[in-house]
Amino acid sequence: MTPLASIASAVLSVTPWRLERRLEVDARRAALTRIGGAVGAMIVVGILLLLTGRNAFWIFWQALDAIFGRQRGIEGVALRGIPILMTALGVALSLRMKVWNIGSDGQFLMGALAAVGVGIHMDGPGWLVLILMAVAATVAGAAWILVPALARAYWDVNEIITTLLLNFVALQLVTWSALGFWRDKEAAVIQSTREVPFTLPGLPGANSVTIALLVPLVIAAVLWWVFRSTTIGYEIDIIGGNPRAAGFAGIAVRRRILIVMLFTGAIAGLGGMLQLSAPGAQAMNAGFSAQFGLSGFIVAALAGASFWGVIGGGLFIASMFYAGIVLQTKGLSVYIIFAIYGVILTGIALGEIAARYRVVRRDAADESEATAGEAAAARKGADS
Amino acid sequence: MTGDGKRPSVEARGISKAFGGVAALDAVDFEVRWSEVHALVGENGAGKTTLCNILAGIYRADAGQVIVDGTERDFRSPAHAIDAGVGMVHQHFRLVEPMTVAENIHLGWPETPGVVSQRALVDRTERFMSETGLHVDPTAKIWQLSVGEQQRVEILRVLARGARVLILDEPTAVLTAKEAEELFAVVRELAAGGLSVIFITHKLREVLAVSDRLTVLRHGIREITRPTEGATASEIARLMTGEERVLDVEHRVVTGDPALELRGVSALNDRGITALHDVDLTVRSGEILGIAGVSGNGQTELAEVICALRGLESGSITVDGSGTASMSVRAVTDLGVGHIPEDRIGTGMVLSASVKDNAVLHNYWTEQFAQGLTLNRQGVIDFARRLVEAARVQTRSIFATAGQLSGGNQQRLVARREALAADRLLVAAHPTRGLDVNAAQEVRSTILGKRDSGCAVLLISDDLDEVLLMSDRIAVIYEGRIMGVFEAAEADREHIGLLMGGHSMSEAG
Repeated sequence: MTPLASIASAVLSVTPWRLERRLEVDARRAALTRIGGAVGAMIVVGILLLLTGRNAFWIFWQALDAIFGRQRGIEGVALRGIPILMTALGVALSLRMKVWNIGSDGQFLMGALAAVGVGIHMDGPGWLVLILMAVAATVAGAAWILVPALARAYWDVNEIITTLLLNFVALQLVTWSALGFWRDKEAAVIQSTREVPFTLPGLPGANSVTIALLVPLVIAAVLWWVFRSTTIGYEIDIIGGNPRAAGFAGIAVRRRILIVMLFTGAIAGLGGMLQLSAPGAQAMNAGFSAQFGLSGFIVAALAGASFWGVIGGGLFIASMFYAGIVLQTKGLSVYIIFAIYGVILTGIALGEIAARYRVVRRDAADESEATAGEAAAARKGADS
Repeated sequence: MTGDGKRPSVEARGISKAFGGVAALDAVDFEVRWSEVHALVGENGAGKTTLCNILAGIYRADAGQVIVDGTERDFRSPAHAIDAGVGMVHQHFRLVEPMTVAENIHLGWPETPGVVSQRALVDRTERFMSETGLHVDPTAKIWQLSVGEQQRVEILRVLARGARVLILDEPTAVLTAKEAEELFAVVRELAAGGLSVIFITHKLREVLAVSDRLTVLRHGIREITRPTEGATASEIARLMTGEERVLDVEHRVVTGDPALELRGVSALNDRGITALHDVDLTVRSGEILGIAGVSGNGQTELAEVICALRGLESGSITVDGSGTASMSVRAVTDLGVGHIPEDRIGTGMVLSASVKDNAVLHNYWTEQFAQGLTLNRQGVIDFARRLVEAARVQTRSIFATAGQLSGGNQQRLVARREALAADRLLVAAHPTRGLDVNAAQEVRSTILGKRDSGCAVLLISDDLDEVLLMSDRIAVIYEGRIMGVFEAAEADREHIGLLMGGHSMSEAG
């Protein structure tokens, strides 16, 4: 059980109902319950706003208008969405194998740092530099997870700690580059690296969104296909489900873990390069990543490692963040906005639980300690 | 106050219980007396565990009465039942592994003093052990104990709370033969001391060995309650299954080419200790070689080295003449080797994956399903449908998770899948363990079918009856050594039993 499911189950334990795992989780229900959770949470938010004397209808209208009312809103969401989608896709891939890459923020930063290094030192045609920047970022992201991946694959070292801690190392390196070795000496006030003189081509009709937006969509499509129709995807799912059975089936479990972890780092690293090559974001400073890795992790966890779910969820959260910024400029307190984020994310998480569990009336059996053994005994009884 | 041997300790009258509209128990009468061991017998799903869960306060009956020592009771929880003196030891233990025996016995026990030293807990536990005659080191941590000792702690925990009626749910399922013998002695001792013991099992030999009286349940209905004395295994089996089904196996002497050959094979176990010493074995096409032995004498390692899941220290293994020493698991599988692993659920299945994905676990990479990188989704679905039908696996859908299948269905799925994968050699480790009589017969027929179609079979089982019934030749293993190999015709049960216990050929002969 996820922590939230445990809490939900504990809350239910004082009622005549309990949670029961569904035998099958179908994709449509999974999507609908999450959307339902988000909508339900927004209704709760609206009621709370009304109760505290705020005009909830005006606030929601402002938020919707800010996002969908003008092209700037839609592009703003897309710009915030790209780094979140990239880190989320990396994490979602690792979750398919039940590996928890908490370090996508660090991989993202190292990818961007490598891209800056290439971008400010290389002369040549823009397209070539950009391609080399992308390659460097991909390699750097993978390199940043190499040690945790080797340790996890061959010595069973818990990857949660190692990947998490490397985030802080990456942040220090970025700060150092901005203050020290790649510092922009001409703009003495701003502590940042020099600026990369190239940007990716814009999308037709867009003002600020580049073709970078296509990259997470293509990656999601490729991953979806890999897990639907290839033996590699099948093997990763088997490893995630039961590594011993994977060994029994002759899958090289350790090598697969290593490779998949490197891929998750590579995707996050490429995300760093995409962020860096957007107009106006071509230099790095200590605030380069607004904890995109953390947002990406939330998206991947809520999407239940479904790749299209990551795209939908990532864009939703990006719009939520964008609306939050607009609402701040309209005078809504930042604390209220954070509270709203929290309620909405909780609503989606409850929707995720609803996709996997259902609420049933309690049997006399459940009144006793509901341990695994008894659950097994109950199933056995029910089989007869 | 235990009373004489005639008075009932626990009575169930007209107990009925349904789960989701399916009747698990239908108006069952059941009576246990003081100072007796009462075997409750039936196939999986006959309602044995359900009945005992009602007696122990875990379920409440839909209809009927529970009478304990003359007083009608309505238990609402296991705590109520234990207050009335009825306690149950479940198949799956509920012990806290990092804590000591003394701590586990005192956990959640109202009589445990609020503030207490380790020393006092150990003293209390020791006093208590000498009262019951059951001994385990009270300072040992649970994870350090063998399964048999852990079970003893569970029994002590129930007895400590004042249970006079002890219910044991399939207590031997997890035990070695030697541990089971020790348990029988303990159970007899407890009954001699005046307690009632309800012993749930589906193994006929245990019923005859341990019980004073027996009750047979079938499909939630009581078939019979009778004294054990004078009962025969075949009579009980007939009552359990409703029909007498005895597999008629014709043993053969095969002289064909060897499909599997082991020469001087030595291998280590997981703890780095030599588990196989210089093993020589030959299995020919079209024969079943049975490995007789008490669990834990190298059988697990033997199956694993043959399937390349474990490396060799020395020696050689050939399948159809090709040496497998440097082969991968997959390469050995591709030679036509199937493997029904000892731990079906932990090793042979992925419970979170669908039935369909589990169906192809051992052949998804073959040309039948894989074209280059891509997996033929429709081909997998068709194969899974056929497999589920052939193995008679009851599932709502092949897209549902394997975790929702009942234990018997999971086993049938793995057994049939591996039998299909085995063209040349099937390694079957304890293939019928935990199955009821009918399901076990099905699995045995599958294995015999493989033999008859010319496949070599290595059958590993700690059930000597099964080895004797199925095998054309029998090898006895003890502490990783092959003690002797016999043709089925010349196999002598007692002789083999002695070899299984470590007596050498000369001593046994």
